Amino acid sequence: MNLPPGSAVAIPVVAVVVAFDVWCLVDLARAGQVRYLPKWAWAVAICVWGPWGGLIYLTLGKDRTLAGVPGEASLAKGAGIAVGGPLRARRAPVGPVVIEVDQLTKRFGPVTAVDALSFTVCPGQVTGFLGPNGAGKTTTMRVILGLDAPTSGRALVGGLRYQEIIRPLHVVGSLLDATAVHGGRTAWFHLLSIAKSNGIGRRRVTHVLEATGLAAVAGRRVREFSLGMKQRLGIAVALLADPAVLIFDEPVNGLDAAGVHWIRQLFQSMAAEGRTVLVSSHLMSEVALTADHLIIIGRGRLLAATPTDQFISGTRRDVLVRSPRAGELAGLLTARGAGIRPEGDGGLAVTGLDAPAIGDLAADHGIAVHELVPRHASLEQAYLDLTGDSTDYRAGTPAPEGLATS
Amino acid sequence: MTAPQIAAGRAVPSRLVRARDVLAFEWTKLRSVRSSYLTLLIAAMATIGSTAIVAHAVGSGPTAPQGGSFTALTASFLGYAEYAVIPVSVLAVLQFTSEYTTGLISTTFCAVPRRWAVLAGKAAATGGAALLAGEVLGFACFFLTQAMLSGRHRGLSLTQPGVPGAVLAGGFLLCACALTALGLGAIIRHTPGAIAAALAVIYGLAALCLTLPSPWKVGLGRFTMPFAAAQVLATHQQPGLLSPSLSMLVLIGWPAATLLAAALVITRRDA
Repeated sequence: MNLPPGSAVAIPVVAVVVAFDVWCLVDLARAGQVRYLPKWAWAVAICVWGPWGGLIYLTLGKDRTLAGVPGEASLAKGAGIAVGGPLRARRAPVGPVVIEVDQLTKRFGPVTAVDALSFTVCPGQVTGFLGPNGAGKTTTMRVILGLDAPTSGRALVGGLRYQEIIRPLHVVGSLLDATAVHGGRTAWFHLLSIAKSNGIGRRRVTHVLEATGLAAVAGRRVREFSLGMKQRLGIAVALLADPAVLIFDEPVNGLDAAGVHWIRQLFQSMAAEGRTVLVSSHLMSEVALTADHLIIIGRGRLLAATPTDQFISGTRRDVLVRSPRAGELAGLLTARGAGIRPEGDGGLAVTGLDAPAIGDLAADHGIAVHELVPRHASLEQAYLDLTGDSTDYRAGTPAPEGLATS
Repeated sequence: MTAPQIAAGRAVPSRLVRARDVLAFEWTKLRSVRSSYLTLLIAAMATIGSTAIVAHAVGSGPTAPQGGSFTALTASFLGYAEYAVIPVSVLAVLQFTSEYTTGLISTTFCAVPRRWAVLAGKAAATGGAALLAGEVLGFACFFLTQAMLSGRHRGLSLTQPGVPGAVLAGGFLLCACALTALGLGAIIRHTPGAIAAALAVIYGLAALCLTLPSPWKVGLGRFTMPFAAAQVLATHQQPGLLSPSLSMLVLIGWPAATLLAAALVITRRDA
C-alpha cells in the first residue's frame, strides 16, 4: 500500500481527534445537565467544529459540579433545605481538647495587638470571646490556628502547637472570615478540595452540605452566594471533619433570624457532646444567650474570664429611689455612708445601702418614697462598663457648634 | 500540660498518604475553576494558530542561511514560546495570589499547616499540568510545522539527532516558566505585581541584557531563560551560549531558586 507523504503524522492526529470527539459525545450523553445550550445543540457543535467544539463543551458547557459523583444526583435536583441534619461522623471522636493561651503577645510593628494574654478554653461548654473592635480577638484566634506567629508566649491546642497537629481539621474546625472564598468555585468543590486535604470522604461533604442547608445550591458558584450563605459554607468547612474543637470568629454576621437560632443550637449541642467551642463577638447580646463562659479582652489584655452567670452578679448594682423630698433624703443617705448619684429625672441612684435599709431610713424620718427599685447592671451594661476604657474606635461626643463652624 | 490528648485514638497517616492528600487538595482547586481551562484553551489555540502562520511564512520564504534544520526546529517553537508561556505563567501566578487576595489562604494553611507542603502541592499540580500541556503543545507544534514544511522538503523528523531532546525540552520550558511564576506569586501575593515580576524574570531580564554592550550582552544574557531556551531548543551549539546541558540547568535553576525563596518566605511570614 502506498500512502501519501505526511500520512505518518496525519493518521495518528486524525485518530486522536476523532477519539476525542467521540469521548466528548459520550460524556455529553452521560451528563445529567449541561449549561448555556441544550444537549442537542452541544452535540451539533461537537460534530460540526470537531475538537474545538469538544473543547468549548468541556470548558463552558459541562456541568462539572456534581457529575459522576455517586449519590449526588439528588443534590443536583435540589433536595430541599434540610437545616440541622446529622452531623456526627462515623470515625471515633478525638476526645476532649483544651485550648491554652499562655502569656501570648503579638506585635505588628509598633502596635501591640495582644499583650501577655493568658486564658484556657475548656471542653463541654460554649466559651464567648468578647471585646470591642480592635481588641485583638481575631489576632488571638489566628495565633491559635497557626496563621500568625506569636511575638512571645504560645497558644496550644490539646497540648500541641497547631502546626504540629497532623490532619488538623479532624481536631480543630474554624471559621475566621466567611467571605474568604474563591468566587469562581462552586460550594461543592470548595468543600471537596478542603476535604481531600485532610483525607475526608465525599460522603461527608454531602453530609455537611445537607446539615448546613446548602445542598440545593452546592453546584452554584460561591460568588453568587449571599453573606448568610457564605457564612453557612464557612460553618460547613468547620464541621467537615467532625472536629473536637470549634473556633468561630463573629459567626452570626449576615445570618437571618432562623440562621442565628440554628447556629446557637449548634454551638450548644456541640458543647453538650463534650467539644470545645470558642465563639468571638463584639456584641454581648450575641453571646449572652449561648455562652457558658466568658473571656473578655480589651486592647489585647485580659479583662475578665468568668462563667457567664457570675459575670453579672459580680458587677455594679444600685437602688433607684424617687422621693418628693429627694434632697433631704440624699443628705440622710450620705450621712449613713451611701453613695449618691442623681439621675436625670429627679431620681437618686444609691449604692452602698440595700433597698430595705433605704426604705427604713426614709420611714424613720417620715419621708415619702414613691419608688424604690433594686437594680442589677444588665449583662450589656456590665460589659460596656468593663470595656469602656479600652475601646479603640469610639464615636466622639457630638459637638454641635463645632460642626457648624468648622 | 497533657500532650497526648490529640494523639490518643488517632491513626496517623503515613507521609506518602499526606503528600497525596495535599496534591489532591491543590489539584482539585486547580481543576474546579473555569479560568484554568480557559487559560489552557487560549494557550493552545493561540500557539497552534501562530505556529501555523510562522510555519507558512518559513515554508514560503527563502532558505535560511544556517541550513534547513535550525530554521525548521526554531520555527516550531516561535509561536509556542511567545503565546503559551504568558497565559500559563499567569495561571501559575494566580494559584497563590488569588488565595491571598480572597483570604482563602487562611483556610488552606489551616487545612495544611506545613506551608512548604502547600507550596510543594501547588508546584506539583500546576507544574504537572504545565508540563503535560507543554509536551502536548510542543509535539503538536513540531508535527504541525514539519508537516507544513515537509511538503516543500524542508522538514525535520524526530529521528534526526538532537531533535527529540529539543522537543521534549520545549515542553519542559512551559513547566519551568510556570513554576517560576508560581514562586513569585507566593512571594509577592498581589496579582498585578506578581504577573509583572514573572514577566520581568521570564522575558524582561533577557531584554535588558540585549541592551548591554557586546561582551556583556551574551555573557550575562546566557544565564536568562530565553537565551537558555534558545540553546535548548536548537540542535547545534549556538555561538556564545552555554552548552545544552548547562542551559538546561539554567532553565531548572530559575524555578528552583524562586520556589526555594518562596518556601523560605511563606514559612516565616504571617499568613
